[in-house]
Amino acid sequence: MIEIRDLALGASDGRLALDGLDLTVPRGGNLVVTGSSGSGKSRLLKVMAGMERPWRGRIQIDGREVWPEGGVLALTGHVSLGFAFASGGLLSNLSLRENIALPLTFQGTTAVELARRTEQALERVNLQAVGGLRPHAVSASARKLANLARVLALEPELILLDDPLEGLDAADRAIAQELVRGWGAERSCTLVVAAEEADALSDLEAASLQLSPSLISVESP
Amino acid sequence: MAYLARLGAPVRGFLEFLGDQAHLVLRTTRHTLLLRMGQISVVARQTKLQIRFTGLDALWLVGGTALLLGAVTLIQAFSQLSGLGAENYIGVLMVLIILRELGPLLTAVLVIGRSSTAIAAELGAMQLNSEVDALAVHGVNPYQYLLLPRWLGVLISVFVLVVFFDTAALAGGFLVAKLKYGVTFGFFMESVRQALSNRDFLATLLKVWLFSGAITFHACHFGLRIRRSQTEIPQAVTKTVVSALVAIFALDGLIAALFYF
Repeated sequence: MIEIRDLALGASDGRLALDGLDLTVPRGGNLVVTGSSGSGKSRLLKVMAGMERPWRGRIQIDGREVWPEGGVLALTGHVSLGFAFASGGLLSNLSLRENIALPLTFQGTTAVELARRTEQALERVNLQAVGGLRPHAVSASARKLANLARVLALEPELILLDDPLEGLDAADRAIAQELVRGWGAERSCTLVVAAEEADALSDLEAASLQLSPSLISVESP
Repeated sequence: MAYLARLGAPVRGFLEFLGDQAHLVLRTTRHTLLLRMGQISVVARQTKLQIRFTGLDALWLVGGTALLLGAVTLIQAFSQLSGLGAENYIGVLMVLIILRELGPLLTAVLVIGRSSTAIAAELGAMQLNSEVDALAVHGVNPYQYLLLPRWLGVLISVFVLVVFFDTAALAGGFLVAKLKYGVTFGFFMESVRQALSNRDFLATLLKVWLFSGAITFHACHFGLRIRRSQTEIPQAVTKTVVSALVAIFALDGLIAALFYF
């Protein structure tokens, strides 16, 4: 599903975060990317999704070239992808419900199916009561869960989650963990999760990629 | 050599800017042709929002400005041409000054002040909040969801506002002509009609199309370039205004030369 060759990318402060990364994640496989804050986890996920350009290297998703050419639009409409942002990522002029429904509308999902999937996703993350509110009117953890609900409603074949458990209280964390476990167990779905500490995801059967300023280590599950 | 480098940098920057503008227009056009039925309703809803903000909400501002401009134009003209049969030139003056030039130009200036600034700031804020990335990554094409509705909305709004501006300016001019010379409505309109030609309609339509494109794509270019911090937003807004103003004055000159020179 994901093919990465000789990837080099910079961290947010401009220094080299990753150099010469070769990685293959098969369809249905899981990968947990760990590393300290600023080690380049979020950037790696954004580069995989085509949102940011790497310094060097080649990335293919489901056989489609994302880098060095193409970017995110190479995937739009071809690969069903869900991305949960660590922060932001929700349209501020739409309610949480509309944010979840918009990608489905664009996919051409029927009105009945769209309503069913949107409401089910909101219910699963316990956001039904605030579904009509805009992102600025809800808590940060509700925005984080809404990001996960959007991924859930989309039922994508590739899921990229950027620190999905960070900043959540115990109850919300349990909801998010259950979702991640569910996606991890699905054979039809490829999952990549970035997290500062891997402990919370230890029960996930996944390959791991440890990022640090001087070391990259890849381990098979 | 250093002199050449100093000269070359802005030229290269300008050419890159033109290339980016062409890229935005071509990509938006191409993705418009790829719209599916279900997506058209989403784009239409966004376009309606843009028309409401750029067109409807600006009607009073444009109407008031045009009414005063039409009146002032004839007051000044009459003060210079009194005794020379100024009333005979009413139509020519209104067509030459208002309908041909100031109508489309001032409407575009007002739209730049109200809407292109808003578009640039909104897109910039969306970039900083990863909203544009979120759209693209979840299969919502940003060219279709963000750029196309803004282009269509501004195009329709500028057309309606130019018609409204011209009508209000003619009304202002007629009021002055009636109060000063007792000119009848029939005489006033006949005078304007005789001075108008098909070429004027064609030139105005071309201006509406080119101005709205320049206004939208300048705003989108500077708004979408924002990457790092909120302090870039006011800078992008300023660049949008300056750049779009230069563009519409240049286009206006070009069209005047093409049609009337």
